[in-house]
Amino acid sequence: MDLKEILNELLMEDKTFLRIPVGSGTLEIYKSVVLTWVVMLVLFILMLILTRDFKVHNISKRQAAVESFVLWIRGVTGGMLGEEAMGYADYIATVLIFIAFSNMVGLFGVVPATMDLNVTIALSIMSIILVEAAGFKKKGLRNWLKGFAQPMAVIAPMNVLELLIRPLSLCMRLFGNILGATVIMELIKAVAPVIVPAMFSLYFDIFDGAIQAYVFVFLTSLYIKEAVE
Amino acid sequence: MDLTAIGAAIAAFTGLGAGLGIGIATAKATDAVARQPEADGKIMKLLLLGCALAEATAIYGFVVAIMIIIFK
Amino acid sequence: MLNVDWIQIGLTIFNLLFLYLLAKKFLFGRVDAILMQRREEVDSATKAADAAKQEAFETKKEYEEKIAHVDEEKEQILGDIKKQGYAEYERIVNDARKKGDQIIVEAKHNAEVENERAKEVYAAQLTDMVIDAASKIAATKHSAADDKELYDKFINEAGAKNE
Repeated sequence: MDLKEILNELLMEDKTFLRIPVGSGTLEIYKSVVLTWVVMLVLFILMLILTRDFKVHNISKRQAAVESFVLWIRGVTGGMLGEEAMGYADYIATVLIFIAFSNMVGLFGVVPATMDLNVTIALSIMSIILVEAAGFKKKGLRNWLKGFAQPMAVIAPMNVLELLIRPLSLCMRLFGNILGATVIMELIKAVAPVIVPAMFSLYFDIFDGAIQAYVFVFLTSLYIKEAVE
Repeated sequence: MDLTAIGAAIAAFTGLGAGLGIGIATAKATDAVARQPEADGKIMKLLLLGCALAEATAIYGFVVAIMIIIFK
Repeated sequence: MLNVDWIQIGLTIFNLLFLYLLAKKFLFGRVDAILMQRREEVDSATKAADAAKQEAFETKKEYEEKIAHVDEEKEQILGDIKKQGYAEYERIVNDARKKGDQIIVEAKHNAEVENERAKEVYAAQLTDMVIDAASKIAATKHSAADDKELYDKFINEAGAKNE
């Protein structure tokens, strides 16, 4: 039936966008990476436009909105991170905005960047490196190594394994949610093309995308908080 | 016997755990709100967070089912 | 769908770091600059207000001390004046007393002198009268009874004259 074709097309397509011959082989750049570039560009232009002409007193409404937005995001991420890890709030806020934007690109009919396993793996690798680096910087080398044997020495293998399992679960959660949302949206669009997708897209694209971004960031900051204390 | 279909169906069973877990969580959340109505903002936040986390296992099953169907 | 390509992962990591740097410079950097400026302004305004308050407090204390001193000075001046007044009074009274004594002494002296003079005048008058009487007696050779009568008459006249 049509559905199988659609699924095949969606999932099995060749994801390369650019092929750049480099040396002996070809450098392939996937669509998701290009989409990430586009999202970065859009965010950058947005930031430039919104933060132009900042004054100290007698501020315009736009500036007040931007300032309150920054303070709100810092409040959210700072609350999740706790007192000691406040320095990481900026990075966490950036990741939150990026993932939320990437997930909502599905509104425009484009395959979201996070539907590619590579992007989610990259995000989770960065998260786990950040968590371990935070623990390392706070505790020093010996205490960090000793932390693996907490609370009992028998649990040490499990703790080391958790180093692998946490990023895996983060990445698979994000990937799976966005994959499921996109597949179901495609199926709905194939079945009832006119009004119904709009309503469902409200849940799948916007709500689900935002929640998954928030959950990703929440879990990362929870791990950071745990590692720093 | 096409084992792919049976494999995918078994993989989709993980939805059972998620449904149960989220149902119980929502029941406890409504109990908590009934006990203390002014804390309902915090409770709703916690509930949404818990549901998103619990949904992950169901999603793992879904992804495995899709992979089985696509890659046979 | 499942091809994991390390190059893509590397590229995405680089993209994320780049995005973080951009956001830090443009969004958080600018907003932070404004917030810092505002906080500095508020801080300096608060410090200036504190300094002014401190100054006002000290000036007030100075003035209060001055006023307290003014009261003391007033008391002191009044006291001085009163003392002066009393001294003046004493002096005047003493002067008056001295003068009074002096006057009394002088008056006594004058009175004595007057007395002396009056006595002298009286004595002169008496002498005159005695001479008169003696002459009258000498002029008329009368008998002792006539003399006695003349004497009596003469004394009565002198007495009447002297009265």
